[in-house]
Amino acid sequence: MLSKPLPLLTPARLCLLLTLPLLSLALVSLQAQDSLVVGLQALFEAPERSSERLLLHYAWWPRLSMALLAGGGLALAGVLMQQVLRNPLAAPTTLGVASGANLALMAATLMAPWLLMPGREWVALAGGGLAMGLVFLLAWRRGLAPVVVVLAGLVVNLYVSALSMVLLLFHQEELKGLLIWGAGSLSQNGWDSVAYLWPRLAISALLAWLLLRPLAILELNDASARSLGVSLKHLRLAGLGVAVFITGCVVSVVGVIGFIGLAAPNIVRLAGARRLGQRLVWATLLGALLLATTDLLLQHFTNSLPTLIPTGATTAALGAPLLLWLIPRLHLQGDQPPGTAHTIGHRHFAPRRLATGIALALAIIALMALFAGQGADGWYWLSSQQWSVMEWRLPRLLAAAGSGVMLAIAGTLIQRVTANPMASPEVLGISGGSAIALIGAIFLLPSPGNLTLVAAGTLGALVSLALLILVNRRSGFLPERLLLTGVAITALFDAVRSIVLAGGDPRGQQVIAWLSGSTYYVDLQSAMIVTVAAIVLALATHPFARWLDILPLGAATSRALGIGVERSRLALLALVALLTACATLVVGPLSFVGLLAPHMARLLGFSRARMHLLGAALIGALLMVLADWLGRQLLFPQEIPAGLVASLLGGAYFMWGLRRL
Amino acid sequence: MVTLITMFRLLRRLPWLGLTLLSLTLATAHAARSDTPTVATLDWTIAETLVALGVTPHAVAQVDAYHDWVGEPPLPDSVIDLGLRTQPNLELLASLEPDRILISPMFANLTSRLSRIAPVENLALYTPQSDTWEQMGELTRQVARLVERPHAGERLIETTEAHLASLRNSLGDDHPPLLIIQFMDERHVRVFGEHGLYQAVLDRLGLTNAWQGPTNYWGFSLVGIESLVDIDAQLVVVEPYPVGVEPQLTNSGLWQNLPSVRDGTLITLPSVWSFGALPSAKRFATELVAALEGDDAL
Repeated sequence: MLSKPLPLLTPARLCLLLTLPLLSLALVSLQAQDSLVVGLQALFEAPERSSERLLLHYAWWPRLSMALLAGGGLALAGVLMQQVLRNPLAAPTTLGVASGANLALMAATLMAPWLLMPGREWVALAGGGLAMGLVFLLAWRRGLAPVVVVLAGLVVNLYVSALSMVLLLFHQEELKGLLIWGAGSLSQNGWDSVAYLWPRLAISALLAWLLLRPLAILELNDASARSLGVSLKHLRLAGLGVAVFITGCVVSVVGVIGFIGLAAPNIVRLAGARRLGQRLVWATLLGALLLATTDLLLQHFTNSLPTLIPTGATTAALGAPLLLWLIPRLHLQGDQPPGTAHTIGHRHFAPRRLATGIALALAIIALMALFAGQGADGWYWLSSQQWSVMEWRLPRLLAAAGSGVMLAIAGTLIQRVTANPMASPEVLGISGGSAIALIGAIFLLPSPGNLTLVAAGTLGALVSLALLILVNRRSGFLPERLLLTGVAITALFDAVRSIVLAGGDPRGQQVIAWLSGSTYYVDLQSAMIVTVAAIVLALATHPFARWLDILPLGAATSRALGIGVERSRLALLALVALLTACATLVVGPLSFVGLLAPHMARLLGFSRARMHLLGAALIGALLMVLADWLGRQLLFPQEIPAGLVASLLGGAYFMWGLRRL
Repeated sequence: MVTLITMFRLLRRLPWLGLTLLSLTLATAHAARSDTPTVATLDWTIAETLVALGVTPHAVAQVDAYHDWVGEPPLPDSVIDLGLRTQPNLELLASLEPDRILISPMFANLTSRLSRIAPVENLALYTPQSDTWEQMGELTRQVARLVERPHAGERLIETTEAHLASLRNSLGDDHPPLLIIQFMDERHVRVFGEHGLYQAVLDRLGLTNAWQGPTNYWGFSLVGIESLVDIDAQLVVVEPYPVGVEPQLTNSGLWQNLPSVRDGTLITLPSVWSFGALPSAKRFATELVAALEGDDAL
């Protein structure tokens, strides 16, 4: 699926090339602690009292073995997933397995600690399996097409992180240990985990070897494979089952290790390993070497830091640029117009009347949000003496409505441009980019003010937009490529977040609070700005309505109808970026409104672009205002951020609506 | 463009006029009513200091979690919960009409909003390049001044210092260096060093901290257990253990082979707020000395 192998590089040479730094790093490390001979001795015998040998025997060697095992295992799982799904971007992390396992462990720690007693791995396995099942459910109707699977994985990843955020927001102190685990630390203090992992990996490798021949048939298309008498369904299930089992085992022991499972199989393929057997062997080897080398390097350089830099998150951070580099070199399903996007929902006979109805509902909910609330003595309806409360309620209402409108419009635009009902601004990575910049500002600047934070956020959004344009200019802003760039940026954001939160700095709480998307930090002035921006930008979409009606029909049709496809995509994209940046600064990167509002509008019967925009904007505002109000009342006096309530509300709806995707 | 901006400014000011008038009348009514100032605080360290000064804060953020993590001194039942520390419920806080709101630099980004409710005092405790113990005293004085009980502040400082001095006298001389850790999971611990509460207490007690490595802003460093092996010290574990960690430690070769664990000289202390002020310091010192003396008696 890759265009052409690099010359001069064979998988064997590549692995050899990586073995050299690994060996020399290991030697340097062993020499520094004692001597090579003592080091090798320590591998085999439990030491008496000497602390150097203690370290070597119980920490250094297990850690190296664990890195090799985990890296190899993840790469093996990656090859299997990529083979079964015929998708070069499938991997334990992109399919949501890792984050699902993470969430399951968090929930079990808080709600049912007894579940963890028989073994964390089972909880992790269940969570990972569920998350991947969800991804398949989302992508089933589109025939598990590669890009759709990856996007579904991203959506599930986002949803799962929204849920984890809720848990973290209210239980940071209890969950701080899991934050380290979630960021993938390889540090060991005995041979226990290695002893647990290696037999399981050995069995999985054996199973993979048994599946080798049948799985190779999957390289043919479905019809020819079937004519060879292979039950595709069972084969796929078996292949994925093994892959998920490996991932679950690795994740439960060392946490979420990003990217090895994605990178290693792709690199060996790029280096010329074509047949499945070759890829299985070399990718496993390369994955092991990659992780072990990264880990040794990290150990070497971070000893002097007062905080722990987890290996798993670091590989993820290093892998993001690799993915960006890889995207233009991948052959994916081309620029086809997916007809399904248009068959969602029916067409309402009187969209205007429908829109008026929604506007009325919005007004009623807005009034309720302004006048009803709880105080120190319970519920009350605002009386005329209490007008000062408006000082707190009005800005939040305006900001919620404004950001809802902006996200909804951004979502409508991107869904129409890409003709993909799974697309949303969160998916483009613009939210992620601005979040990275904000985290940086909170941690690197001493007590930053709100103005500084806004500036940093905008800068981040602009940088990721520039990156989007830079990476995709050559492909002519192909929708799928664009979304994949978003996946890479979001992966980078996840890595940065994990590293920062794993350190356990009390400021992490502030980061979590902002990430969860609250209207809390809005004052009247910025609320007004948000409102005006929402109105202005909403009006700005008006002239694009014709483009938006035609673009979903595909590039060829659009060109035939006289639209400069690239130019219009770029213009609409810039608008989307602007809308997303504005909204993200207010409600954080995790809200699902940009995904849901356009979708719901479609289902209700707004089908022409102009009415679709209007309907989505109204629904977006309605969702956010309702979410903001509910979030402030449900756990009073604690406040659940509007973005999280919206995504929890919306997520439920979304799963229900899956049948129609 | 220019007209748009001016329009905008006008729009912005309009609602303020009414609000400003309203808050002015409220403020004057309020000032007349009270003589001892009512305070609200978002920071647990300030909250524990207030209680130790004999002042009941009107409202504190995350009261339940305070009792889980700070514990002593307990907050009276009358204290109103403001919700999350990072996002206190502003509407509720405004309706309580406190005279002052006390925060620490961690919440500096809320200052502009909070100061619309009441004057905000930002009290720093952990700042690099300053002596933590001095800072604790300074914080206590500042808080005491703000609640108009300067004498109570001085008294708290004196009694705490006297208490620690007497603890120091009761200790023998020959205590090995201590390594104070708190488990995050079965493989990682926070180890406390410079700029932290525990370090300040060790200094007052004349004990040595075995951790000479770097620490972060808050006086701890997150490390794997393997980093503890090289250090020859008596281990002090501050509770709580996270779920499931204790059974896993019994299988951990490295942990079982740490000198302190092998000799059974490991000390376990009940949980103390690691980022607290004088009350937490006093409690930690008392618990630590009791444990060390218990050791000596054996």
